[in-house]
Amino acid sequence: MKKKAKLAEQKADLTYLKNTRRNTDSDKEYLSQRRDSLAVRLRTGNREAAAELVDEYYQQIYLFMRRLGHDRQVSEDLTQECFFNAWHHIGQLKDGKALNGWIYRIASNVSRLHWRKHKHKEVIGIEGIEMPNSGKGEPEKMEHNEQLANLKDVVERLPQKLRETIILHYIQQLTIAEATEAAGINQGTFKSRLNRALKILRKNIK
Amino acid sequence: MKEEQINELLNELGRRAIEPVRPGLGEEIKQRIPHRLSRHKIGWDTVNIIIDLRLSKSVAAAAIIITMILLLNLFGGRDLTSGGIVKDGMLLINYWRGAGEDHVLIARSKYEHLLDRGENVIWYGDSIDVKDANSALMQRKLPDGKYELTFPDGHEKQVDSEQLVKLLTRMLEKRTK
Repeated sequence: MKKKAKLAEQKADLTYLKNTRRNTDSDKEYLSQRRDSLAVRLRTGNREAAAELVDEYYQQIYLFMRRLGHDRQVSEDLTQECFFNAWHHIGQLKDGKALNGWIYRIASNVSRLHWRKHKHKEVIGIEGIEMPNSGKGEPEKMEHNEQLANLKDVVERLPQKLRETIILHYIQQLTIAEATEAAGINQGTFKSRLNRALKILRKNIK
Repeated sequence: MKEEQINELLNELGRRAIEPVRPGLGEEIKQRIPHRLSRHKIGWDTVNIIIDLRLSKSVAAAAIIITMILLLNLFGGRDLTSGGIVKDGMLLINYWRGAGEDHVLIARSKYEHLLDRGENVIWYGDSIDVKDANSALMQRKLPDGKYELTFPDGHEKQVDSEQLVKLLTRMLEKRTK
């Protein structure tokens, strides 16, 4: 009886996994189709598509600016500037796949130009880390949260170029190809910077 | 710490190191969407595309030069059948093939080109010592009555008729010696 129950449980797990994978695949396909359509409409100069682009990306770009170390006000200004530049460079957008890389590249350039103008400005990261249901009495969770806070500090202290690679790939969750496009360098250089950054993180995280 | 652990932590940091975005920001950006979105502009966009294609600077420069020559030939009022494009192309190819150092060859091409265009030019290159930097390779009469001289080291100089006579006399004396 026990064996039968276990087998049934395993089968159910397998079916669940298969369904989940199918769902993620169809989600990806849907997202890719949506982005393709958005890119096509943007290229034809459609204003509604432009508004859609804002809805989809303005929070991401704002957080990207914050993670790059700009304060709240500057991040808002740079986010606006990023979209302003995007309207003027819509001709450079190739297709839906390139959408992420394109918008992040504009954002990276806007941020880089700002840092160039304000070389001695202090890096101001996001202040707190959201702690979901962390009970005070759980030492493991406390330790984990400390580790996260420590990691955040080390990332903020990384040199600008290395910090950007970590933020693009890990924090903003861009693929290597998209992050490379966004950073405006070739894939080899990007991977080498990523390795250097990870080495520093490994050394400094307790 | 292991690499996988770091990767996981970084991903988690991405999900948790967030802060609320001011609600009005999206609307403010939308209000600034121009009424006519520019699709593709020739100019800086073209240069940016060349940069995006990651062409080397020299290839990009060559592409721009060739385009300019073609445009000048097409819209500059020169007759295509007179060989203008061909001559310019030859000049460019000669330059790329390393003939850039050989000023005599370039001056000769220029002479032939000007001659074809019906300009008043005289070639002295066959009768002078090209090692002598003071001997003129070519003389060209300019519309203002002056003469433009081209020398073996590639430099050019404008002279009036008196100076030209003096120089030609000196060249003739050297030749007879």
